[in-house]
Amino acid sequence: MLAGIDYFIVIAYIVGMLLLGLYFKKFVSSSEDYFLGGRSLPFWAIGMSIVVSDIGALDFVGVSGQAYRYGISVGNFDWVGSVPAMLLAAFIFIPYFWRGGMYTIPEYLGRRYNKSVRTIASATWILFFALDLGVLFWASAVLLNVLMGWPIWISIISTAGVVGLYTYFGGITAVIMTDVVQMVIMFIGGFALVFLSLDAVGGWENMVDKISTMGPEYRSHFDIIQPVDTKSPFPWTGILFGLTFVMSNAYMIGNQSIVQRCLTAKNEWHAKASMVFGSALKMFIPILVLFPGLMAVVVHPDLADGDQALPMMIKSILPPGLVGLMFAAFFAGLMSSVDSLLNSTATLFTKDIYEPFIKQDADDKHYLKVGQITTLVLLIMGVATAPISSDFPGIYVAIQTFMSYFQGPLFAILLLGIFWKRTTQWGGLSALVIGIGFAILLNVFKANFFTIEDPFLYISWWSFLLAFIINVTVSLVTKKHTDEELKGLVFSSKIITKNKS
Amino acid sequence: MLNFDWLSGVSAETAKMIFFGLYILIGVLVIMLPNDYIYEGIKKEDRHWWNNLKIWSVAVLSILATVYYQF
Repeated sequence: MLAGIDYFIVIAYIVGMLLLGLYFKKFVSSSEDYFLGGRSLPFWAIGMSIVVSDIGALDFVGVSGQAYRYGISVGNFDWVGSVPAMLLAAFIFIPYFWRGGMYTIPEYLGRRYNKSVRTIASATWILFFALDLGVLFWASAVLLNVLMGWPIWISIISTAGVVGLYTYFGGITAVIMTDVVQMVIMFIGGFALVFLSLDAVGGWENMVDKISTMGPEYRSHFDIIQPVDTKSPFPWTGILFGLTFVMSNAYMIGNQSIVQRCLTAKNEWHAKASMVFGSALKMFIPILVLFPGLMAVVVHPDLADGDQALPMMIKSILPPGLVGLMFAAFFAGLMSSVDSLLNSTATLFTKDIYEPFIKQDADDKHYLKVGQITTLVLLIMGVATAPISSDFPGIYVAIQTFMSYFQGPLFAILLLGIFWKRTTQWGGLSALVIGIGFAILLNVFKANFFTIEDPFLYISWWSFLLAFIINVTVSLVTKKHTDEELKGLVFSSKIITKNKS
Repeated sequence: MLNFDWLSGVSAETAKMIFFGLYILIGVLVIMLPNDYIYEGIKKEDRHWWNNLKIWSVAVLSILATVYYQF
C-alpha cells in the first residue's frame, strides 16, 4: 500500500522521535525530573501533550466508524465532553494539586481520605494502564505489518524499543516534548485527509445534501443532539448526565496521565493555561477524526463495518507521500498513548505502592531508579502480553468499558473530597467500593435495565450518583476529620481571593 | 427511570438550550474569578490582556456554543 516516499516519511518519523526523546535524557537527574519534568514545562507543550495523549490511533479508526454509523453526535465527546471539564480542572482542581506539590491523583485521595482509598485507586489505574499497553503494542504491530509488511514480532519490538528507550531515559519531559511533534504531525496528516475528502465529495453542502437523502437511518446524521429514545449510544440525556457531568470530569480531573502533565508546569499560571489551551485544541479533534467518517458515507456508502471508513478513505483519497504522513499520524497517536501509559504507571507504582509500602525514606536517586526499572518491566510485560489481544478482538473496548465504570465513583469521591469538608475516610472508601460494584452489576444486567445499545454513559451517571449518596450518608455517621488534617485539601474561597503572590 | 424516559417529553431544541445555558453559566463563573487568581504565577508587570485566561476561556466557550448552534 505504501510508496517509496511513504516508507521514507514513516522511517524518518520513527528515527526522529527516538533521537528527540533521547535528547531529553540530559535533563533527568532526580525523581522530580523524571516524573514531573522538574516542574519546568510551558503551557503550550503540556496542552498539546494532553490532546495527543487523549486521542490514539484506535480512536481515529473507532470515532470515524461511529461517525459513519451515527453521524455528528459522536463529536459531543470532544466538544461538550471535554471543554467544560477542562475549564473546571484548570480553575479549581489543578491549582490545588499543583500547589500541593503532588505527583499522583491517588496521592491526593490518600491525604484527603486514607491509605486504602489511595491504594485501591492507584492499583485500579495500574491494572488498567498495564492491560492497555499490550493492546496498544499489538495495534501498532498490526498497523506496521499491514502497511510496511514487517513481521508482527519485529513490529512489536521496534515500537517498544523506540518508545521504551526515550521514556526510560527522558521521563515525562521526553514524553511531553515528543507529544508536541506527534500532535503537529497528527494535525497535518488529519487536516490533509479532511480537505482532500471534502474536495472528493464536492464540498460540505453537497455532502450534507447527499447524506440527508440517503434514507431514514441518515436523517439525524447532522443532529448533534439526539433524542432520549434514539437507538444510538448518544441520547442527549446520556451526553449531559453521563458524559458532561461525570465521565469528562472524571477523565480530565481524575486521570493520572492527564493531570500529571499539568503538574509539570513551571508555575501555576502555566498549569491552568495548559488545560485551557488544551481545551481550545480539543475543538479541532472531531474535525480530524469525525469528518472523514461522515465523508465516507458518500464515498463508500455500502461498508459492512463502519470501522473500515477511515482506512478506505486513506486508500482512495490520499496520494503517495500523504499516505506516509497519515500513517505517521496514526503511529504518533499510538506512540503518544504508549509513552503516557508507561510514564504514568511508573509514577503511580513508585509513588503510591513502592514508596509507602516497600521502601520509605530512601534517597531520591533510589526512587528515580525504581521509576526507570518499572518503565522497563512494564515495557517487557506489554510486549509479552501483546499477542493475547489477537485472541480477544474486543479487548480494547472491554478495557475502556471497565475504566468507564471506575470513573463515576472516582469522580464522586474527588468532588466531595475537595468541596465538602465533612466527607470522611469511611465515606470515601465505601463510596468507591460500592460504586464500582454497582457499575459492574449494571453492566452485567444491562439488557434488563437499559434500552439503548451501549448504556455506558448511563452506567457512569448512576454509579456516580450512588457513590455520591453513599459518601454523604456514611460520612454523616462517621467521625469527621479535624481542620488540621484537612489543611490545604478542601476547597476554600481563600484560594481564589487570597493568593500567594 | 434509569433510561431517563421521564425526560422523553423534552424536545431536542429545549435540550440544546440546556447545553447553551450550561456554557453561559460556565462563562459567567469564569468571568467572576478574581484577576489575581487568573494571573497567579505571572509577575504584576507581565500581566497583559493576552495572557488573561478569562479571555481564553470565553473564546473557547464561544466557539463551542457556535458549533452547537450550527448543528
